[in-house]
Amino acid sequence: MTDMYSQEDLRQLCEPWLASIRPNHQFKIYSDTTDFFRIEYGDILMLDSQPYLIRHNAKEGRFGLDDEEKFWVKRAIDLQNGQTKIIKMVFHEKFMAHIGDIFFECFRSPQKEERILRLAEGHPNFMQGFSVLDDHDNIIRVLDMIQGDTVADHIRKLSMNHETYFYEQFPKILDNYISCIEAIRFLHDHGEKHGDIRRDHILVERDTGIYRWIDFDYNFRHRENMFGYDLFGLGNVLTYLVGMGDVLIQDLHANNFLAFDKLFEDDVNIVFNNRVANLKKIYPYIPESLNRILMHFSKGVTVYYENTVQLLEDLREYKNNL
Amino acid sequence: MNQNEAVVNRNILIAVDQSENAHRAVKYVARLLGGIGGGFRVAILHVIIEPESDFFATHEEKEDWLSTNTREVEEMLAEYRQFLIDHGFAPENVSIHRPVRYCPSMAECIIAEQEILEYGTIVVGRKGLSRKEEMLFGSVSSKLVKIARNCAIWVIE
Repeated sequence: MTDMYSQEDLRQLCEPWLASIRPNHQFKIYSDTTDFFRIEYGDILMLDSQPYLIRHNAKEGRFGLDDEEKFWVKRAIDLQNGQTKIIKMVFHEKFMAHIGDIFFECFRSPQKEERILRLAEGHPNFMQGFSVLDDHDNIIRVLDMIQGDTVADHIRKLSMNHETYFYEQFPKILDNYISCIEAIRFLHDHGEKHGDIRRDHILVERDTGIYRWIDFDYNFRHRENMFGYDLFGLGNVLTYLVGMGDVLIQDLHANNFLAFDKLFEDDVNIVFNNRVANLKKIYPYIPESLNRILMHFSKGVTVYYENTVQLLEDLREYKNNL
Repeated sequence: MNQNEAVVNRNILIAVDQSENAHRAVKYVARLLGGIGGGFRVAILHVIIEPESDFFATHEEKEDWLSTNTREVEEMLAEYRQFLIDHGFAPENVSIHRPVRYCPSMAECIIAEQEILEYGTIVVGRKGLSRKEEMLFGSVSSKLVKIARNCAIWVIE
């Protein structure tokens, strides 16, 4: 397979992306990614006879570890068309994740991500890409690069007070987010869970403004409600969007004691007890019908959302009553 | 059978795992009905969730997990069965079942087994989940109570 491209061919194809290549430079060419640590900047990855020029490893903040380097995820250039791709190799990571004080075993599953990529092909609210087997039958995912901020950064960059945000920006943001919830409903309807719903797993595409879910390779052995964790994630993102960020108990205590003083134990997030769920107590202009939705994710909750349909119905009711 | 009528028979299905709450469920049935005769039949059920290939690096790893798990489940069910026999159930009236099933919801799988076996009563232990655990992961006993039709559910505290 690797014989299809000579070193000279590769030098010519890579020239636009490598600042200086010696005439006798010999590219290292890989078609088996099992030992992904060996594959470095400037190497060539051959996948299904297509050459990709490897660039940097991807980074991600997770569980408090900002910019954790992901050696199995590389930026690359598709040398056939010059497009930037994200290439995810197989890393069978198992680890104990925790939400607050609840621990559960998580897995990375390339099979799951492959299935969702196929399922979500052409869906505007999901990252796009395809999967291909390398020479060792590892499932490699070749993903389109999405240019844009995470929804968390998108919100963080807004500079206005909350009331202005809520009336001028939030309605459009909510419409986009409802599309994201619909997209999760689509997954659930097909028996798949996202597995890691967080505000930095939605990218806001710069050119179109479309919100897209990324990173579907997390999985875990669910218990009774296969989709409960996804629903909890959806609620947390919604609360973040309504609040224009996390509204933290510590901040209120330090900067807005009047609001802090109105809060009861049931007003905080059911798991993250330092985050306020009952945002109407902080921002009284938030309509009751929207706040009621947020309270489904509060410590005082007695009735849970069991599926995305229920959440979507309540959000639509809120919007219709505006 | 009339669709709206509960199955009334003396067949009791205890759904178990290795947890303390499952022990409590078995103990309760043993102490309530053991040795009193009356034609009660007990089936002890553990649904082995068919492992998704997602969780394993290789097919062999998956098969190993399944065979180890099946062996452990059989030992557990045998112990529960012996416990019931020791408390007065006739050996021929205590059976064990360990189907391997694709199981997105354990409660739905238990109900499906109850329908196959035509048992009138399902017994489970209550795990005592916190509110947040129930929200995040769901509760088998709560779901059973919610979805069961034509049978009785005993949730043992």
